[in-house]
This record gives sequence, structure tokens and C-alpha cells, in this order.
Amino acid sequence: MSSSLILRSTLPKALIKRSLFHSSTQIRQATSDRFAYVAGGPIYRGTVNDPTTFPPSSKTHGSYHWAFERLLSAALVPMTATAFATSGTNYPLLDGILGLSLIIHSHIGFDSSVVDYLHPRKFPVFGPTVKWTLRAATVGTMVGVYQFNTNDIGLTELIAKVWTA
Amino acid sequence: MSVLNQAARRLAKASIIDVRSFATSVRRLQAEPLQKPVLNKEFKIYRWASFGSPCRPTFENPDEPAKKPNLQSYTIDLNQTGPMVLDALIKIKNEIDPTLTFRRSCREGICGSCAMNINGQNTLACLCRIDRDASKDSKIYPLPHMYIVKDLVPDLTQFYKQYKSIQPYLQNDNPPEKGEFLQSQEDRRKLDGLYECILCACCSTSCPSYWWNQDEYLGPATLMQAYRWIADSRDGNSAKRKEYLQNELSMYRCHTIFNCSRTCPKGLNPAAAIAKIKLDLAAD
Repeated sequence: MSSSLILRSTLPKALIKRSLFHSSTQIRQATSDRFAYVAGGPIYRGTVNDPTTFPPSSKTHGSYHWAFERLLSAALVPMTATAFATSGTNYPLLDGILGLSLIIHSHIGFDSSVVDYLHPRKFPVFGPTVKWTLRAATVGTMVGVYQFNTNDIGLTELIAKVWTA
Repeated sequence: MSVLNQAARRLAKASIIDVRSFATSVRRLQAEPLQKPVLNKEFKIYRWASFGSPCRPTFENPDEPAKKPNLQSYTIDLNQTGPMVLDALIKIKNEIDPTLTFRRSCREGICGSCAMNINGQNTLACLCRIDRDASKDSKIYPLPHMYIVKDLVPDLTQFYKQYKSIQPYLQNDNPPEKGEFLQSQEDRRKLDGLYECILCACCSTSCPSYWWNQDEYLGPATLMQAYRWIADSRDGNSAKRKEYLQNELSMYRCHTIFNCSRTCPKGLNPAAAIAKIKLDLAAD
């Protein structure tokens, strides 16, 4: 689809007619052969009677990802509550887990937006660039939070201080 | 005395005739029927034809549509029109502009042909009452974010291709020895609220995820039908059906936005069906 999308938006229609893609992608015909229905229309994979195909199955990208994301989101609720009840200096491990979970939670959220709007099939260069930028940012944030939690007051204390300031 | 009697009898006779003749009196016959007041309402309808209008076809250059999409307004008398938006559309097509193009068939919400966006809501024109407030216009667009063939007719090819991809038919390698598949009442009840879908595409085209990723994300209508076959106790292929959805695009682009359930003109709940698939897959 990515190639056909690019074709539709950039190449002149005459080129499509002559191109090799004609045999592999069906351009929907109007009633007359003279007027191929191209203007603004989709270019389907296969004939109009072929079903669409599925991407390769992968539980990691499917149900495991979803279950992990939901469980993490649910777990963040009691974690935040405990952070309110206790103090980060007394329970540094709890503070660390909360920081890590928050980062992973937001990483999954941002990643979902990238898949929605900048999927590599539509943005072959920009999509992967953003994906890897996000990964780098997530790792950087993890390192930062780790440093902050070990060498400084830690996340919970910081929020408490900002809150009362 | 006899003269008086005669007169009285004549009077009585006359009054009887008069009473009888009242029903078919000349006055009643000539009375004008009660005129309904004129209630003019403006309908603004999306017009676009890929080849220009059929009256003035621009076949010389089909690659460049002669006109850009525009809203054309029609004013009709609501008191001379049926109650539904589809009645108004048919009246406009019959009496004002025969080039107006839309799909319709059953006019009672069973076929799903007349799905369109009416006043910002995807619905079936035949099930949508005309807002009788004549001071406001009614805007009618085709289903959002679809390729348009002409006016209110969207190209649903991709939608049907996706529906085909979930193999919407019973698959079972071990049919019963004789007779039909038997099903308990509870199992049958699981299909209620799923099988009624008429595939009008109102829900799928109201879903932002479907707008952005139409080529890969199946959309609520197709996913609800996928669940209809997963939930069917007679079907033996549910493991395979679930496996198809195990990727990040086909189903997991659903972000529980609930536009689908809100817009469904049949009152079904595709979002719940998708949530059940997700639970099923997570429990696998």
C-alpha cells in the first residue's frame, strides 16, 4: 500500500498506466476501459474480490503487548497512591519502580501515536526516525531518573517539594 | 287544522332531507381541503462527481474533475415531504435535481445502503428524522474519510474486502453425524447484538483509527463480525480467527474511542465486541 500511496500522490496518472505496478495492483475500472478510475480513488491490492491480507501474527505485538500495557496502567494507580502515603527516601526501591513504570507507560503511549500517525508503511524514512528518537529519549529519561533517584532526592520527594513550594 | 298538520309534516320531511343531504351538501363538496402551511427547510448536500456532472460530462479529462466538491443547497417544503431524511433526498432527486446521487434501497433500516453523514452524525438516512426546525439548515455529507464515487456514494470496496478477510462463514471440520448443529440457548444468546449488523459502515467510518489506518486496521464493523464468528459455538476455527488478529494493526489500533457504539443506527455495540476479542486474546 505504501508504494501505491506514493504513486497516487506523486506520479502522473499516465505513468501508472505504463508502470509495472499495473499487473500487480488493480486499478478499478469505470464502465468503459477508456476511463480508468484513478482520480482520487484508492489503488487496491489484488482484485476487488480478493480479501485484504493480515500482517504476520505475533503475540508480542498483539495480546502480550496489550495485556502488559493494561496491567501496567492498572498497577500505576496503587503505585501512585503508595507514593503519596510513604516517602521516597524511606522506600527508594518503590520510588525507582514508580519512575520506571511511568517512563514505560508514557513510552507505550507515544509509541502508539507513532504507529497510528507515522507508520513506516506510509513514512518509510520519517517513521523509523521518530521511532528510534522516541526509544533514545526513553532510554535517556531512564538514565536521568536513575541518576536523580540515586544521587538526588528522587522523584516522589521532588513532586512533594514542588507541590508545597 | 289539516293545513297546519300538512305544514308540520312537510317541515319534518324537509328537515330529514336536510339532515341527510348535509353529508353530501354542495358546500361540503366545494369546500377547499385544509391547506398545510408551507414549511420550507434548506438542505445543504455535498456534491462532487469525479467526471463532472452527468449532464455536462467532462470525459475529455477525467483526471481533473471539472469542479471541486461543494455544498449545494436545496429548499423543500417539509409539509409535502415524508418524515425522514431519505424522503427529502428522494423528493429533491425527483422534483429539483435528478443528478443528485445517493444509494438507497429498503427505506426501513434493513439494507444499510443509505448510510451518510447527516448533521455531523453517521447514520442511515431512512432512519433519521428531519429536524423540523426550519430556521436551521441540514447538512448532508457522504461517509467521512472515504473515497467518493459521486455525491453521497462512497467507495466501500476496501470495507468489503476487509469483511471478506475475516472469513464470515461457518467453518467446522467435524460436522454432526446427521442433522444440524445444535446450540444451547446461552450459546445462541451470545450472538445477539452481533448478527443484526447490516454492514452499513457507519461505525467504521466514524472511527478516527479507521480514518488514519484504513488500509490495515479492520474497523469496528468488521471486528464485530470477527467476534460474531469467534463467539459462535458451532464454529471450529476460532483459534485461527484469533491468530489473524495477533498483530499491532488489524485490531489493536482500536483505542476504545467509542464513536462506533455512539453512531450505530441499529443500536449495536461494536466497541464491546472488540473489548471481548481483546480479553479473549489476552486469556489465550
